[in-house]
Amino acid sequence: MLQGRPERAVKVMPEPEVLNLPLRSRRFVFSDVSVEDGQRVSSGDILAKDPNNYAVPLLAPRAGLVRLKKDENAAPAAVDASRGGGHIIIDDVANLEEHADIAKEELEHIEREMGAGGIKRYKLLVLGAWQFFYDAYTGALPDPQGTPQAIIVSTVSLEPFVARGDAQLHKRLFNFTRGLEQLQSLLEYQPMYLVMPDIKSELANRIRDHIRGYAWAKMLEIPLTYPYDDFAILARRLGLRRDKGPVWAVRTEGVLAIDRALTLTKPCTVRIISIGGTGVNSPAHIKVMPGYPIDKIRDTYVSEPAARMIDGGILTGEALGQEPVGIDTECRGITVLGELQDREFLGFARPGWDRSCYAACYLSSLRKRFRERFTTGMRGEGRPCISCNFCEEVCPAGIMPHLIHKYLYRDLIEEAEQARIDLCVECGLCSFVCPSKLDLRQEFIDAKKLIEQEKEEIRQEQERQEKLRQEEAAKRSAEEKSE
Amino acid sequence: MKILLKVFEAVRPSFEGGKLRLFKPVFEALEHALFAPSTTTVTAPHIRDPLDMKRFMSMVVISLVPCVLAAFYFFGLRMAAMILVSYAAGGAVEVVFAIVRKEDIYEGFLVTGLLFPLILPPLLPLWMVALGVAFGVFIGKELFGGTGRNVFNPALVGRCFLSLAYPKMMAASYLEPSGALAGRLLTYIDASNIDAISSATPLALANKGDFSSLPHLFLGSVSGSAGETSAIAIILGGVFLLLTRVANWRTVVSILGSFVLLGGILHYTSPQDVGPVLWHLCAGGLLFGAFFMATDPVTSPTSNAGKWLYGILIGAVTVLIRNFTGYVEGVTFAILLGNIVAPILDEIIVGVRIRRLRSEG
Ligand code: SF4
Ligand code: SF4
Repeated sequence: MLQGRPERAVKVMPEPEVLNLPLRSRRFVFSDVSVEDGQRVSSGDILAKDPNNYAVPLLAPRAGLVRLKKDENAAPAAVDASRGGGHIIIDDVANLEEHADIAKEELEHIEREMGAGGIKRYKLLVLGAWQFFYDAYTGALPDPQGTPQAIIVSTVSLEPFVARGDAQLHKRLFNFTRGLEQLQSLLEYQPMYLVMPDIKSELANRIRDHIRGYAWAKMLEIPLTYPYDDFAILARRLGLRRDKGPVWAVRTEGVLAIDRALTLTKPCTVRIISIGGTGVNSPAHIKVMPGYPIDKIRDTYVSEPAARMIDGGILTGEALGQEPVGIDTECRGITVLGELQDREFLGFARPGWDRSCYAACYLSSLRKRFRERFTTGMRGEGRPCISCNFCEEVCPAGIMPHLIHKYLYRDLIEEAEQARIDLCVECGLCSFVCPSKLDLRQEFIDAKKLIEQEKEEIRQEQERQEKLRQEEAAKRSAEEKSE
Repeated sequence: MKILLKVFEAVRPSFEGGKLRLFKPVFEALEHALFAPSTTTVTAPHIRDPLDMKRFMSMVVISLVPCVLAAFYFFGLRMAAMILVSYAAGGAVEVVFAIVRKEDIYEGFLVTGLLFPLILPPLLPLWMVALGVAFGVFIGKELFGGTGRNVFNPALVGRCFLSLAYPKMMAASYLEPSGALAGRLLTYIDASNIDAISSATPLALANKGDFSSLPHLFLGSVSGSAGETSAIAIILGGVFLLLTRVANWRTVVSILGSFVLLGGILHYTSPQDVGPVLWHLCAGGLLFGAFFMATDPVTSPTSNAGKWLYGILIGAVTVLIRNFTGYVEGVTFAILLGNIVAPILDEIIVGVRIRRLRSEG
């Protein structure tokens, strides 16, 4: 059994006194702040929006008094306009009756503009449910007014230590199926795939009972092997091609949020996240809201003060900074990983019955289970690639990480693109297994960003030249006329 | 342990930027040989597999233990001297290059230094051992840019150099293994204290129509290169290496498979020219080469499909060299040929895969 795996029971954290909402999360930057210092908000109010992501809102999870806080650490030069830093702090937090719905007149206005389907999507957006949607291929927020070719609903979450679907579904099955129906009502005829670990299990049967008669939902069974729950991998497996339009993907918590937003018309601010990892004494799922102070969670759960706190899972999460504030709106779990403390004496000579290793060198293997006590240790020195092919064997995307690494090492960006670096889903398995300790995942993420940037620059350059040409043509025709 | 660690901490400054900074690679190699490195992950994934290069290489060394023991048993304590000389000479080249390049000392020579004496005739003068391994590491590895970039297996380059430069010495340095129950575990046999009877290897004898008995080949009580004679010891260590997945089974299976297939066909069509397959399988360096030489990840193709082709090529070429050329032993050349072809095979496979990837979502 994996030590530090969160149990299924969901615990409720005590109400916070102060909420500390970061203005950024993995995908969003809420740079368009719509409240002022000292303003009183009630829960469900929009505090800020992300102008680059279809104005997805940051909602106030509780009522209270707003205080704005700029990021002091960031040097002003480093902060460009699009990257708003800082937090919105809500003092004096009270769990009052939720500020009800969206204003009536507004709804009517939108209904006139967009029709009944449009209003549902609008509700999803302003009530905070839309942020649970992903574009299966890019992981970005899809266009709420767009039409997908299919929707993938996944109840599986395989990365060690992040919140699992079974815990979130526990006791909420009815809400889940109702959410599925609501989700279906957004579509016309597009298929919806329901990803389950075992389509013959009791849970699956109960879901099937609930949604009996809905031919639109197809169940898909996947193995419980990380990272088969990745949306891009699922979409490829389902044969959904990228050029046929976007694929929306949503997890269990997203379906529950849809149900809340559309059936109850209430803002979705509370989330179930996990607190797990080797540095936690009683790993669990907890119910919190964005902005919930992380030190409070730490005081309750973390047994090792020196441990590293990670936002997300152990393979793809990001280390939380020195100054722990509140959890952000996209957090799915906090993993606590002990730091490396003892340097092993003659480690390579130990037979290692107690170690799990991808190659069977330690007489056990990663594919079976993680068993060992993990730390942040690198467990070896960086070395040149020896072409052992382990990375290719584990890569779920079917690309050749060692080849791309060699291309990138020689700055052959174009070749790396041809080797389909874009298919990498950033699962981190290649970095994990590499005996030369190469940081392949990070290298690929950086390279992909660079490629994106270059493409964007080329596009802008083309646009500019196109404009110049048009202007010139206009000028010339004007001159010709005047002559 | 704590004390030792303190000693390392105390002398660290003089190696890092201090007077002895030239020898930083040596210091680090020593430190990391004793204590796992203290580096931690910076970005995700926050945990790493416990397998590292040291472990990878130490697995090969462990799997060579049966062969080393067999060599001791059959050819005496001189093996110890050969291994020591090989490590010292190969290690010196490696260390010098690490210092010049200001890189770490890589673990690869731990394997090269042990493999090399095992593929030499047991009576070879020690200066030749030193020369051979230095040549192999220098020409075969360092000139290509060091570990990970070498095209040829350094041990084989060294051996190939010796057999081209000193063919007479090589051929005259074989030794008939002892028939005594205790073997030669307590004796040190040298060219000086043996009556200069050099014994022809089974393959050389077979060329004259004299086949040694199969059980002898299987146990290893025949003349031959120090570590290559005992089929059972090689298989024991080799299977362990395959189980740990340090060596890829595809390479081994395809080499032995194609060898058996082609050898079998040839034996069936002209039994007077080509010896029985099972006999050939156990004779000479084939098993040793298949399990320990050809499976070197750096010099074999990376892709699994490439490994199949590479193995098939090596097996077939070995059969052809052994039976249709003046050389009685063909594995060394076959594997070196495979090493040359490996990048080409990889290129072909990569081309195919990239074409297939192009149509992916
Ligand atoms: S992170 Fe590595 S293993 Fe995962 S998809 Fe990307 S290249 Fe493949
Ligand atoms: S796992 Fe590391 S050493 Fe092995 S082929 Fe991949 S990049 Fe190279």
